[in-house]
Amino acid sequence: MDDMSLKDYLAEGGMLTSPANVPPRYRAELLKLMATFVDSELAGAAGFADTINRGPGIKERIAAAKIVLEKTDNADKVLKIMGDFGADEVRYANHHPWTARLDRDADIGTRRVEHDMRLAVFNYPLEGWGDAVVMNLLMGQAVGVQMGEFVKVSYQPLAEAFRGIAPVEARHAELAHEGMQRLIAEDQGDQLQASVHYWWPRVAASFGIGNPDRFEALREMGLRHTPNAELKSAWEARAGETLSQLGLKAT
Amino acid sequence: MARFHDLKVTDIHHTIRDAVVLTLEPDDPAAFDFIQGQYLTFRRDFDGEELRRSYSICSGRHEGKLQVGIKRVEGGAFSNFANEELKVGDTLQAMEPMGGFHTPLDPANAKNYLGFAGGSGITPVLSIVKTTLATEPRSTFTLVYANKGVASIMFREELEDLKNQYLGRLSVIHVLEQDAQEIDLFTGMVTEEKCAQLFRTWIDVESVDTAFICGPEPMMLGIARALRDHGLDDAQIKFELFASAQPGRLKSKVVSKQAGKQANQAEVAITLDGATQTITTAKDMTILDAARQNAMDAPFACTAGVCSTCRCRVIEGEVEMVANHALEDYEVEKGYVLSCQSFPVTDRVVVDYDQ
Repeated sequence: MDDMSLKDYLAEGGMLTSPANVPPRYRAELLKLMATFVDSELAGAAGFADTINRGPGIKERIAAAKIVLEKTDNADKVLKIMGDFGADEVRYANHHPWTARLDRDADIGTRRVEHDMRLAVFNYPLEGWGDAVVMNLLMGQAVGVQMGEFVKVSYQPLAEAFRGIAPVEARHAELAHEGMQRLIAEDQGDQLQASVHYWWPRVAASFGIGNPDRFEALREMGLRHTPNAELKSAWEARAGETLSQLGLKAT
Repeated sequence: MARFHDLKVTDIHHTIRDAVVLTLEPDDPAAFDFIQGQYLTFRRDFDGEELRRSYSICSGRHEGKLQVGIKRVEGGAFSNFANEELKVGDTLQAMEPMGGFHTPLDPANAKNYLGFAGGSGITPVLSIVKTTLATEPRSTFTLVYANKGVASIMFREELEDLKNQYLGRLSVIHVLEQDAQEIDLFTGMVTEEKCAQLFRTWIDVESVDTAFICGPEPMMLGIARALRDHGLDDAQIKFELFASAQPGRLKSKVVSKQAGKQANQAEVAITLDGATQTITTAKDMTILDAARQNAMDAPFACTAGVCSTCRCRVIEGEVEMVANHALEDYEVEKGYVLSCQSFPVTDRVVVDYDQ
């Protein structure tokens, strides 16, 4: 009964608990997953920071500042776990200019740019307050779907970190939703619709293309559970419904 | 970065034939102000090779002493050393306590905790039991403790004493694989089915706030399944993986004495996910780039030498690592490099991402 390989243990839903009992390939994939999250949060927060001053009122500016603060804090929580594996946390936080963006019409699909692991969607610049709110709503709901996947990850310290992060991220999507409602009431529906057209395919692409072999390898390690396509449809359904309640169309 | 401290061994107590409890006195007591359920990582040289092993703290936070339990493992260098050679007065080196096998305690809590331990998996659970009962006077603890037989129960007397000390708040169910007991249910292994039976009669699982599990992998899986089946969610189940899952000793790196360093090109053999590709590459290209240019899905993230996602092990030949902000000296000594920062030096290099 004592003889069970870590591979079988993980495939059957077992949890790993410290850097000392993590096998090499698992370590690498776990670090990649954490880097993707940290880079996306840091890039997202940095890009959104400029938007704080564009908030039309003090409440909006508080909401935007809160989002920037908390996304940076969420990045820090996961970066600490990377630190347990030897990553240099101070250097990591500064190894890339997180505010850097491509052109608004750059077409990079799901590709990430060199040097950091942020999701492709975080390479596009925001254009004004309303555009930022739309991006935050759509991406916020995408993160909500991703969080459902992340809290099941087989590295217990990371699953616990994500359990703390999930409600904070959910609140960010709610703030964006409230912001949208205000802008709709102010008759800005047309501009918001244009932003939805811009962000919808880019947020959709953040779910990735999904290589079945790679997904299977990650599933066996307990680092993934639901295929990308399924997560993407869950988001499409959820975000589509939110938009229609606001009187907007997804595509 | 991890820091090691000196700890003096002030007592060695054989709890059972092949397990010891070490009492340790750190040179820097503040650094060892542990949380119940945490572990210490020791390092020691064996035949010129540094070995690191983690052992859980078994004392309670309130006891004012630092103790770890070490069960002898067949062929295990450190556990045999601790059980047979270590003497009172010797000095060991360990990192500050680590690990997240705990939940926050509050004297105002009135909670019901359930612990499962298999064999030496008792060590962190014992620390949790003792600290919890001492800190939360209104909480209860039920411990299911699996062993081969009576002779292999670590801390049997200590648990009896605790039961008497915390009358009515601690119950211990010994499940023995080989020795028959008065109640049939307590004989055998702690499986999913056994748990389901225990939950029907002996344990009120619905009132459980948090469950702690530490033992062999199959046992933990079975218990976790049974707990989920009975309504506990993932946030209520805390695992600590058994120490036996720690990787064994690595073979030392092959150093080829006559390794050529003439050509501008190098032949690099790269193993990833069990498959090896041999690539001819320029010596001004990193190992990581060489792998990626040849359609190998080699892991990486920061490509700046700070995150260590791209770590691989040099098995043969020599590379030059131009930056390293993530690997420790002992890892570098074993041949680990950051592939995003490493360029071939010898004409032939063999690296492995699977080690």
